Amino acid sequence: MLAILLLALSQSAAAQEAPAPPRTIAIDERLAADAGLRLGDRVTVSASPGAPGDSVVIAALVRRRPDPAEIARGEYRVRLHLTHLQSLIGYGDRVDRFAVATAPDSATIAGAADRINSAAFGFRAHRSSDIAIESSSTFAVVSRFHRAIGVITVVASAIFLLCIMLLKVEERRRDVAALRLMGISARTVIRSVVLEAAGIAVLGSIAGVGVGAAAGWFVNRHYQAVYRTPLLFSLITRDIVLFAIGLALVLGIVAGWLAARRLVRTPPLALFGR
Amino acid sequence: MLLTLAAASLLRHRARTLLAVLGVAVSAAMLLDMVMLSSGMRESFRSLLVSQNFQLRLAPKGTLPFDTEATIAGADSLLAVLALRAGVEVVSPVLGGQLHVPLADGRTVTGAALGVEPAVQGDYELVAGRHPRAPDEIVANDAMLAAIGRRMGDTVRVAAGYDAQMRSLSGERLVRITGRARFIYLAYEQRATALPIAALREMNGATATDRISLAMVRLRPGADAEAERLAIERLVPRVTVISTAEAIRQVDERLSYFRQLAVILGAVSLVVGFLLVTTLVTVSVNERIGEIAVMRAIGVRRWRVVAQIVIEAAAIMLVAAPLGLVLGLVTARYLNSILARFPGLPERIDFFLFQPSAAWTALGLLVLCGLLSGIYPSWRSASLPIATTLRQEAVG
Repeated sequence: MLAILLLALSQSAAAQEAPAPPRTIAIDERLAADAGLRLGDRVTVSASPGAPGDSVVIAALVRRRPDPAEIARGEYRVRLHLTHLQSLIGYGDRVDRFAVATAPDSATIAGAADRINSAAFGFRAHRSSDIAIESSSTFAVVSRFHRAIGVITVVASAIFLLCIMLLKVEERRRDVAALRLMGISARTVIRSVVLEAAGIAVLGSIAGVGVGAAAGWFVNRHYQAVYRTPLLFSLITRDIVLFAIGLALVLGIVAGWLAARRLVRTPPLALFGR
Repeated sequence: MLLTLAAASLLRHRARTLLAVLGVAVSAAMLLDMVMLSSGMRESFRSLLVSQNFQLRLAPKGTLPFDTEATIAGADSLLAVLALRAGVEVVSPVLGGQLHVPLADGRTVTGAALGVEPAVQGDYELVAGRHPRAPDEIVANDAMLAAIGRRMGDTVRVAAGYDAQMRSLSGERLVRITGRARFIYLAYEQRATALPIAALREMNGATATDRISLAMVRLRPGADAEAERLAIERLVPRVTVISTAEAIRQVDERLSYFRQLAVILGAVSLVVGFLLVTTLVTVSVNERIGEIAVMRAIGVRRWRVVAQIVIEAAAIMLVAAPLGLVLGLVTARYLNSILARFPGLPERIDFFLFQPSAAWTALGLLVLCGLLSGIYPSWRSASLPIATTLRQEAVG
């Protein structure tokens, strides 16, 4: 049973002779680090600060799961044997919840939940997926916030990219003038400029993916250390990469086409500044 | 003259200038939002904490107020100890719990219940009606009243406990709703009620006897909050005393992610704006190398050339800044509405709080960027060898 307790933990000053083998507990890695506890240490656990408790031995260290719902929770976790916790906090023969394993298909899960809810008295069965949605509502809010920030960033990037591409193409005005004077058709010139713009956009976005991956690595390292969690904060997926490259490509082509069209409509000698 | 030349240069390439202004405006909006986010959250939380003028909060040892269900035992002796302290003016004890309201259709509505001393409480503000004075009186917020379909003045049956095994209520009593209240520290949609602390204790039975969840302490004018905090913690080791500064620090720690995000995105916005204007001005200068060489050849001083280009860069920033300010305020409102949905976040907390200092900071950074972005192109143009440049431009 997972129990979240605020427990007063104090290392016993000296080994005590106990009539029976002491109970064992598992504690958070973070608690072990903060309190300087190690495997095999003997500590006293009690249900409230200062109350007499039980002497127990730390038998295991537990690493937190990458659960977004726990990201900002600072309290430590201690895991005890069910009967031990029940007696320690005077809980009697009660539990807060049961976890029921079923076959993984959704029909079985739904059926089991329905049967429990219709048959049992005083219980309510919930699907784990529903509980996950409920408990990760904080994360859902953060996710929506990130999406909104992402849209603003995409708009800013798009304008930036459009501007740069226009400038880049306009730099080629003398080349375009020379091509036109040599008799190259306007269509060919536009194609060549658009192709160049698309190439630059793709190369730039690939470099951007690299920069993003490096930034993501730093973000993960930093926040995993800050919140002491294995949770991944920045994840670059295939869809994100495709979106970034696709957006850059479209913007590059549009900007290249707009600028090239304007250039080929200008008399070549005017492009030369004559 | 300088301004005219700079304006003419910008207007020569209208589409390019417009795009640059748009790009900088979006960057400025993002910058303003991030400046608001980095300072607004803390300021908003500070305002919330000091709004009722309580400087210290006592919670069960090792916890933050209402962070867990733990309570402080021996509440009466604790309150007596606090009352004896010269620096303490008022102590407001609070007991947290739940109140269940059975409805006619068989459903039960559950909401938060705060047991308070109505005369000194600082947890809610009355919207209408009056404080609960008798053990059978409560105030409720609009969310609770809407959920139970009752109004001020109605009498309802409420219970403090619900036994899931037996599906039965415990600690029941009939109460009258004497007022509508807005709970300061609770989330907007959270159903809540408040009643005299003695009444809530009675309803909860032995488990709540002589217990409180929190005590809020108002100090006399001139009392040192930090000294009082330390003294009370020494006197009553079973509690954690949290000052306003400490509470802000704790919240800062929990929400440090948003502050750091604000710094990172703010810096990125600034860099993007800077790069955009630098690129634009550099290209513009490259196109006008011959023109600049002619200006230098006919005797225009170097500093005037530099000034004209710096003015061009700063003008883009200055034109984009008001646009960015408006855009930033609109997006901040939208982003704030997203973050306001944080479960359990007090209604009054704003992540994006507009303060004039935030706008000035953003504007100052933008103008600085504008000036800096003009330096490289202007330095380059002013350093050109006049004769060589003129020859190259003439020959092509």
